[in-house]
Amino acid sequence: MTQFSADIDQNEYLPLGATEVNAIVTVTAMDDPEAATSDAKAVEIVIVDVSGSMGTPRSKLRSAKQATKAAIDCVRDGVDFAVIAGDDSVEAVYPASGTAVADPGARARARDAVDRLTAGGGTEIGRWLTLADDLFGSAPGAIRHAILLTDGQNGERAGVLEDVLASCAGHFQCDCRGVGTDWEVSELRKIASALLGTVDIVPEPEGLEREFRALMEAAMGKATADVALRLWTPQGSKVAFVKQVAPTVEDLTDRAVQARKPDGDLDPLTVDYPTGAWGDESREYHVCVQMPARAAGDEALAGRVKLMVDGEAVSEAKILAIWTDDEVLSTRIDPAVAHYSGQAELAEAIQDGLQARRDGDERLATMKLGRAVQLAAEGGNDGTMKLLARVVEIDDPVQGTVRLKRNVAEVDEMSLDTRSTKTVRVQKSAPPTAPGQ
Amino acid sequence: VSAPPATNCEACHAALLPGDRFCEVCGARVAGAEGDGEPGLEGACHACGAPPSAIGLDGYCTRCGALQRAPGDRSEVDLAFAAAVSDQGRVHRRNEDAFHLERGERAGDAVAVICDGISTSRSGHLAARAAAAVAGGMLARALGDGTADAEQLTVEAVRAADEAVVRVPTPATTRAALAPPSCTLVCATCRDREVVIGSIGDSRAYWLAPEGARVLTVDDSWATEQSAAGLLDPEQAAADPRAHAITRWLGPDVEDVTPQIRAFSPDGPGRLLLCSDGLWNYAPAPADLLELLAQLPAKASALVVARALVDAALVRGGRDNITVVVIDIAPEGRSPQ
Repeated sequence: MTQFSADIDQNEYLPLGATEVNAIVTVTAMDDPEAATSDAKAVEIVIVDVSGSMGTPRSKLRSAKQATKAAIDCVRDGVDFAVIAGDDSVEAVYPASGTAVADPGARARARDAVDRLTAGGGTEIGRWLTLADDLFGSAPGAIRHAILLTDGQNGERAGVLEDVLASCAGHFQCDCRGVGTDWEVSELRKIASALLGTVDIVPEPEGLEREFRALMEAAMGKATADVALRLWTPQGSKVAFVKQVAPTVEDLTDRAVQARKPDGDLDPLTVDYPTGAWGDESREYHVCVQMPARAAGDEALAGRVKLMVDGEAVSEAKILAIWTDDEVLSTRIDPAVAHYSGQAELAEAIQDGLQARRDGDERLATMKLGRAVQLAAEGGNDGTMKLLARVVEIDDPVQGTVRLKRNVAEVDEMSLDTRSTKTVRVQKSAPPTAPGQ
Repeated sequence: VSAPPATNCEACHAALLPGDRFCEVCGARVAGAEGDGEPGLEGACHACGAPPSAIGLDGYCTRCGALQRAPGDRSEVDLAFAAAVSDQGRVHRRNEDAFHLERGERAGDAVAVICDGISTSRSGHLAARAAAAVAGGMLARALGDGTADAEQLTVEAVRAADEAVVRVPTPATTRAALAPPSCTLVCATCRDREVVIGSIGDSRAYWLAPEGARVLTVDDSWATEQSAAGLLDPEQAAADPRAHAITRWLGPDVEDVTPQIRAFSPDGPGRLLLCSDGLWNYAPAPADLLELLAQLPAKASALVVARALVDAALVRGGRDNITVVVIDIAPEGRSPQ
């Protein structure tokens, strides 16, 4: 059984008149070390793009098949699984209908079916997801996870994919991978975000096998399905935002679902944010609540965070607010809140800067990417800094002085874009940087 | 938070705090102090007026989030077979109760003292702390000395506590109407399965046994004195506005501080309970206490029992400081853990 714990980092002291309360909630899930492997009920589906473009170069389809077979090999015995292939239609590769229970024979038959795939046709991702949604069916309490691979842009008319995502949301999680550089980052990000998954670029087809194996191994490590972050906030308050800030930035604010009281009535003060399945891992959330200011010395609960599994609260933490006229107390900014505010701004600056660059607005692009360099330097985002350095010449990282590079490889720009949301954790052991020291 | 409208006691015209059930000066019952749903009423959220049922056990209003009491205001002592819990409550700005709990060499031996600082006095909290420490220290000597007369020592300990209260410095204050530092006292000496109780004021001792519960002390209060003198029957006395006014306490304005003494030998296992009126205001009859304890497992530890009683008083309003000492007594020589 997975143990969840929730911890709060915040400066609960607010200056008089202040109405905004910020806190970082760190949620850590730890599997029972006695249980060597997870035996959680799970359904896994691999969705592989077999559109015409996957055939050129020929190594692309070959690598995609190799990667899909590697993912199949990682599926634990007893897990329900399926492989589907999509172009402008969609077909069940294995099994012919529904899902199969994994065992050595089933995995071998699935591998054989994958070997027979050929490329041709367009790219209609909405259809692929609709079939996947059907195959997942309703498996209450099960971990439902898909891996989606594509190399191109969606060919469906505007709005189709959005409708499909709206109807699939909450039914399964989907990690999306784009191979090469002919796909669109914002499109895959939209899918991954709606389906609580990750998005990344695999520049060369040869990288797919390793990526798929890692994704399936991570999926097999999940032990608890459908965990929700439940947030109570006081009457008269407003949730300004709830963002996941580690390991990646993901704005959850609009995913709030009104919670119900034990008697079934809607609870107007409590909302749930779905977070999908959890393995041995830690995620951090930035919660910002706006509430009416109180008098000096008054203390109030600004939020109560609960981790919900199967309708039970498995861990709880409190976000506090204490108003004080003591400026020494109220002006201290919590290091975790400061760090993750910077990390969220970094992701936004990169995405805005790249968009401005595509729009030809060099002044705005330079400003945004300069700010990104500055934030990456402050936050210790070494990986992001390397990606930034392929897009801009960095004159002064501390001041954020940069010049746009003239010739930027598509793969570098897309890598920076997809990985812009990756954050680094706050260094809790770092010496305090108190003003005046 | 806006200042609530001031009201005055019908009996003595002293100013009342919102939500007071009794006048803190004369003890008169406050008319109309019932109901919920409005700020300031019994057990309701002080900020938004949510009913007492909306106050979470951690003290935060589940509607507006306001804390009903300051954090870090609870102190606990756990001796396994005995435990003390003292809580500021939901209304008072500080805890003016004090306690002393100490175990003896022999299993099951202990001394306990609770003092309730009188909040209309100056520095009631200092008076209570001084009295509890002095009386507790003296009584603890009786545990080590088998020849000391526990009853006599209790009288002496209470007198020494009174001397300590009289020495508490009186801070300068503009409120000349305030009384000098003063407090109540209830104490218990449990030695070799004999129990000696001493008390002055309205802090109480109870004996809680499986076959029933009884109160071991008599309040030094207006109501008790009226009914004891045969002037009023107990129900009439309790209904009088002056019912809760205490008539004796420790402090410079009381001449005779000889405590009531009660000695007894429990004839079966049970629990000795000492408490300030912050608890018994919400559960005055011994049966009320048994009802609260009936919700706990039979083998609940002294600490669990003490916490449960304090929490019950908080849930019911916590208008006053609440202090509870529980001592488990096993007379058949079974040494309690």
